[in-house]
Amino acid sequence: MAANFWTSSHYKQLLDPEEVDVLQPLDKDKGVTLEDFKLIKMHMANYICKLAHHVKVRQRVVATAVTYMRRVYTRKSMSEYDPRLVAPTCLYLAAKAEESTVQARLLVFYIKKFYADEKYRYEIKDILEMEMKILEALNYYLVVFHPYRSLSQLLQDAGINDINMIQFSWGLVNDTCKMDLILIHPPHLIALACIYIASVHKDKDITAWFEELRVDMNVVKNISMEILDFYEGQRLITDDRFNTAFSKLALKP
Amino acid sequence: MAITAPGQQLNLNESPCWGSRSVDCFEKLEQIGEGTYGQVYMAREIKTGEIVALKKIRMDNEREGFPITAIREIKILKKLHHENVIKLKEIVTSPGPEKDEQGRPDGNKYKGGIYMVFEYMDHDLTGLADRPGMRFSVPQIKCYMRQLLTGLHYCHVNQVLHRDIKGSNLLIDNEGNLKLADFGLARSFSNDHNANLTNRVITLWYRPPELLLGTTKYGPAVDMWSVGCIFAELLHGKPIFPGKDEPEQLNKIFELCGAPDEVNWPGVSKIPWYNNFKNKANEETSKGGFQTLMTSVPFALLFLPLLFSAFLNSLFCVSFDRHALELLERMLTLDPSQRISAKDALDAEYFWTDPLPCDPKSLPKYESSHEFQTKKKRQQQRQHDENAKRQKLQHPQQHGRLPPIQQSGQAHPQMRSGPNPPMHNSQPPVAAGPSHHYGKPRGPAGRAPPYGSSGMTGAPRGGGSSGYGVGAPNYPQGAPYGSSGAGRGSNMMGGNRNQQYGWQQ
Repeated sequence: MAANFWTSSHYKQLLDPEEVDVLQPLDKDKGVTLEDFKLIKMHMANYICKLAHHVKVRQRVVATAVTYMRRVYTRKSMSEYDPRLVAPTCLYLAAKAEESTVQARLLVFYIKKFYADEKYRYEIKDILEMEMKILEALNYYLVVFHPYRSLSQLLQDAGINDINMIQFSWGLVNDTCKMDLILIHPPHLIALACIYIASVHKDKDITAWFEELRVDMNVVKNISMEILDFYEGQRLITDDRFNTAFSKLALKP
Repeated sequence: MAITAPGQQLNLNESPCWGSRSVDCFEKLEQIGEGTYGQVYMAREIKTGEIVALKKIRMDNEREGFPITAIREIKILKKLHHENVIKLKEIVTSPGPEKDEQGRPDGNKYKGGIYMVFEYMDHDLTGLADRPGMRFSVPQIKCYMRQLLTGLHYCHVNQVLHRDIKGSNLLIDNEGNLKLADFGLARSFSNDHNANLTNRVITLWYRPPELLLGTTKYGPAVDMWSVGCIFAELLHGKPIFPGKDEPEQLNKIFELCGAPDEVNWPGVSKIPWYNNFKNKANEETSKGGFQTLMTSVPFALLFLPLLFSAFLNSLFCVSFDRHALELLERMLTLDPSQRISAKDALDAEYFWTDPLPCDPKSLPKYESSHEFQTKKKRQQQRQHDENAKRQKLQHPQQHGRLPPIQQSGQAHPQMRSGPNPPMHNSQPPVAAGPSHHYGKPRGPAGRAPPYGSSGMTGAPRGGGSSGYGVGAPNYPQGAPYGSSGAGRGSNMMGGNRNQQYGWQQ
């Protein structure tokens, strides 16, 4: 939405990977590992996607909500900020910030409807209170740039109009919200990495186009590797792994 | 813009490197405004002594948490960094439960406890213009207009529509800098204008015809109409379209600019409420009003530019600046797609011919004047005057102590309407107190134009349509600024006889 990423708060707040992979002391004390931390964030990204699907908001809102959630956990512990409340609240706030407001009661309704687990149940007032805490944790920086806009521009620029290829790269971009990439890399590089993977996967040789771009291909390749590693790791993740990780937080009794 | 950028001062008590400071870092000095979502205070930062404006975000009555208007404003202000756009310095929260007016502790920690911290500005344009005896020189008007357009152009380039341009939202400091403020109605737009946006924005008097006709697809042109209204107001000395409700607002616009049709505004007949209006206009024609007749007879439209200029010429009663007229006409163009953009307006001859816009720093410094406080003082003054009047009924010559410039206003009682007419005669030329518009006006009196159709009751009325019709035959001679602004308090511009800053300069 904003005209210029390079002057935005988003750009100024990009972090190094080492800064993102930091466990808050409170969580660390409870024995939460870095793996657990990443796993919970991924799980919560999925939770946001599901909720978003029920309340029918655009993909953009999902991406913004997940980014808020990830930004929060670079500064706040999961012990104090229950992910099961932070996730829906981020969606609630992102919906406002992206001009597709969702009523709090609607979110609460769908949470109750689809999550039998008591621990996911929160009331409207909990969401409204957490909203304020999240705004503070985000330091009121609400602007997020996503790879989507770059993606469509880049695809066009590369002259790719193969629908398979386009859909494949869009899918990849959607999945990147399950990683912390958005906190670390400028969105256009994430988009490029997705195009790169798609081109390899679909056997489209666009090396010449990549070479003409004035970007550091090493960074693009590193992002691509990270995405591929993520997909590789996905297979090993079971619900049990997640539950074990989550139980360490020992949140709501 | 960064709230806790490295190297900046830390919190008062604790020092988290992230998160907001407490409002206790500031000492509230006085209230300078009242907005739709909270009060505005002038405050001093205790540590640095810096004067700031604190805008409280009202959290009560919010069933949906943090108000989306505040979210928009914060999001947009964090994105915009320009010398002609108000700077949001930080956001502070009030620690712990606040007490409400009755002293009951508040249940929600955050309820009513969030403040936006802005740089402090001494005046707003309305407050400044309303100062007794105030008149702007041509270089000064050009200077303000150029800054307004520069700031607005920056917003539009960054895909932000302000949607509430009016005098009280244009803040001016004593260095002569003008900044756009109150982005509570602003929002981002995409260039294709395909999104449906609400047409219930922009204070009525500054609302463009396309919004009044109910369009939901619009762009930066809506702000340019408001700029045109401000420009005309600066030249004319009072609001040019002081409608009391939406139909009257449209009529006032069409009286001046002509009625829209497919010729001068292709596509207008597809705008939702166009037909409602048209039928109504025809009815009125049959009643035989000369002005309505003029506007609805198609051939009159052929001479429209001519009529328009003639009208303006007579309105302003001077052989005035043809460049100003040209620019004004291009801003007050009915068809939004033909309306001049902020960028093109900055290139207009007007800004590049003598007298050139002056350097902001060369402008005179004034005691602070914000509309909110001017209004309050005026109310007090009015009460005082009424009491005095009651006591002094036997001394009718009380005008004797008023300066001569007041006299020109009294010659045209028919122009004076509005909720508070007595004050024209009775208000001594005391310095107007400050009044401010980080927020929106709320006062019952004063010249706050009505917002939506719901705000009609008690809204100030302009001088009736008699002074606004095509040709404006009965407009007082020799009073280009109009010394009888509706609900505006004392005649802001005074007469033109004692002009210090003549605009012919």
